[in-house]
Amino acid sequence: MSVIAPDFRLSGFIRSILDNAFWALLLANLVGIPAIMMVLFYIEMPVINGELLTPFLAFTWLADPSRILPIVHAFMATDLFRVMAFPGFGFAALIAAGTIFVERKLLAKLQLRVGPFYCGKIEGILQLMGDGLKLISKEIIIPAKADKPIFWVAPVIFVATAAAFVALIPVAPGWVVADVDLGLIAVFAVIGFFPIITILSAWSANSKFPFIGGIRALFQMVSFEIPLILSLLGVVILTGTLNLSEIAASQSVFPWIIFLPVGAVVFFTTMLAELERIPFDLPEAESEIVAGWLTEFSGMMYGLVQLGTYLKLYAFAALFVVLFLGGWHGPMVVPPFPEEILTEGIVMGPVTAKIPGLPLFTQEMLNGTLWFVLKTVGVIFFILLPRGVFPRIRIDMLLNLGWSKLIGLAFVNIFIALGLLYAGVLGPGGMLPQ
Amino acid sequence: MVGELAGNYSAVVLMFGFAAAAMAPALFVSRMVSPRKRSNPVKFLPMECGQVPSGEGRTHFMMQYYPYILMFVVFDVMAIFLYAWGSSLFELPKSATLPMIGFLGIMFGAMAFALYQSGRRRIW
Repeated sequence: MSVIAPDFRLSGFIRSILDNAFWALLLANLVGIPAIMMVLFYIEMPVINGELLTPFLAFTWLADPSRILPIVHAFMATDLFRVMAFPGFGFAALIAAGTIFVERKLLAKLQLRVGPFYCGKIEGILQLMGDGLKLISKEIIIPAKADKPIFWVAPVIFVATAAAFVALIPVAPGWVVADVDLGLIAVFAVIGFFPIITILSAWSANSKFPFIGGIRALFQMVSFEIPLILSLLGVVILTGTLNLSEIAASQSVFPWIIFLPVGAVVFFTTMLAELERIPFDLPEAESEIVAGWLTEFSGMMYGLVQLGTYLKLYAFAALFVVLFLGGWHGPMVVPPFPEEILTEGIVMGPVTAKIPGLPLFTQEMLNGTLWFVLKTVGVIFFILLPRGVFPRIRIDMLLNLGWSKLIGLAFVNIFIALGLLYAGVLGPGGMLPQ
Repeated sequence: MVGELAGNYSAVVLMFGFAAAAMAPALFVSRMVSPRKRSNPVKFLPMECGQVPSGEGRTHFMMQYYPYILMFVVFDVMAIFLYAWGSSLFELPKSATLPMIGFLGIMFGAMAFALYQSGRRRIW
């Protein structure tokens, strides 16, 4: 039996942990806390309980129960919270991690593999953690003649661009990172960056397989961008706005997929191609060109590209939900909060701490988020499913499909929308309510 | 007014910056945690399935689908221009739609012609 670490001693292990904890505490006290105080000094602080928040009061917020909730409320109203946590990066990264977990299990079940069911005994519940640890502890190998700055930066820029895409998606009424008037055009602008990042990283690796994969990715994304853009024009014709929040709000009675099923099918197909998923995974075709444009990425660089891919997958699924499936609309299932909680607060145990304003989110927001997440997870499932079922198609079939069939169907969709508008069925003064 | 319009998009840039700032440390942590052995120069050669790589990495590679890129340059712009019409359709009179349909017909015909030409391999 082989021994992994022959001179392992438990006492030495515990001592190293204590050593590290000591240095971490020392650095936090000597450097971390003064740095936070200095940063807080320059930030514009809100007024809490009739007094302006100073860095000292903000830093000791946990000590005073009457200050906790107002500070949390004030923080949740800032842009920083939206970017970091709820409709922004944290929420999307959580859904992306869940998607990776579910995809591994689902494909293993479909293909009768047992690998992803080992780690953690119970149905491989620790698989995601194992994947993460493996990726972060693997050596990053950079090819000898690679263009190093571009090669290092490409995965980070990929994640950041996917996050910029996520920023435009409204999750619940009023809960969106960037509520811009030209939201849909901004989405197209962000999507347009992905082929550039792909071809740059492929070019910088100085290797043949990434280069071929990058060119394939360029052709594929570029060809499917036109049907993608044209298939969404029907929704814009019927709603008369480009703001994604207004488009979602316009579907309170019925979702647009009822009237524009052709556009929805075209958009879903182009979505698969833009995400490089089977049956359109030509840029990463494992059986032909190793791993396509990801061949030379190793360790955490590959992990970042994967994270970016799944963030993009979430953003596209959410865009489908916002445009065709009615966004956050759905029957109200969240029960109303009791009146005394809103005004009096919750009475907790022996210490009767009266904290008014406790439900941090409103009933509408919770209900909207619930329906949005349910629909998004459903769409993500239908994006994952072809990977276990379909083979890969050839590049000439792909281009033919994109340029001849999907663009034709997208034109049909535009005329369906125009017909519905001019026949007086939808739109302002139409027969159906909107 | 212009600054206000541009200011709406600052949240997108903020999200871009936050994601980059939050994810770049992952690379540094990985670089610190993972082993780094530079003993073997073969390790840093480009991947060619176990063979010793030959020739340049960035070669000229003929994809044979170049006309599609040319078509993209034209029709992507057309598709975005259609949004200017589609989003203001409620305010336009109905008679303004006829020239637009004519435009669509011309563009669709042009696209069909370009597709036909791209299929004739021997002329390019």
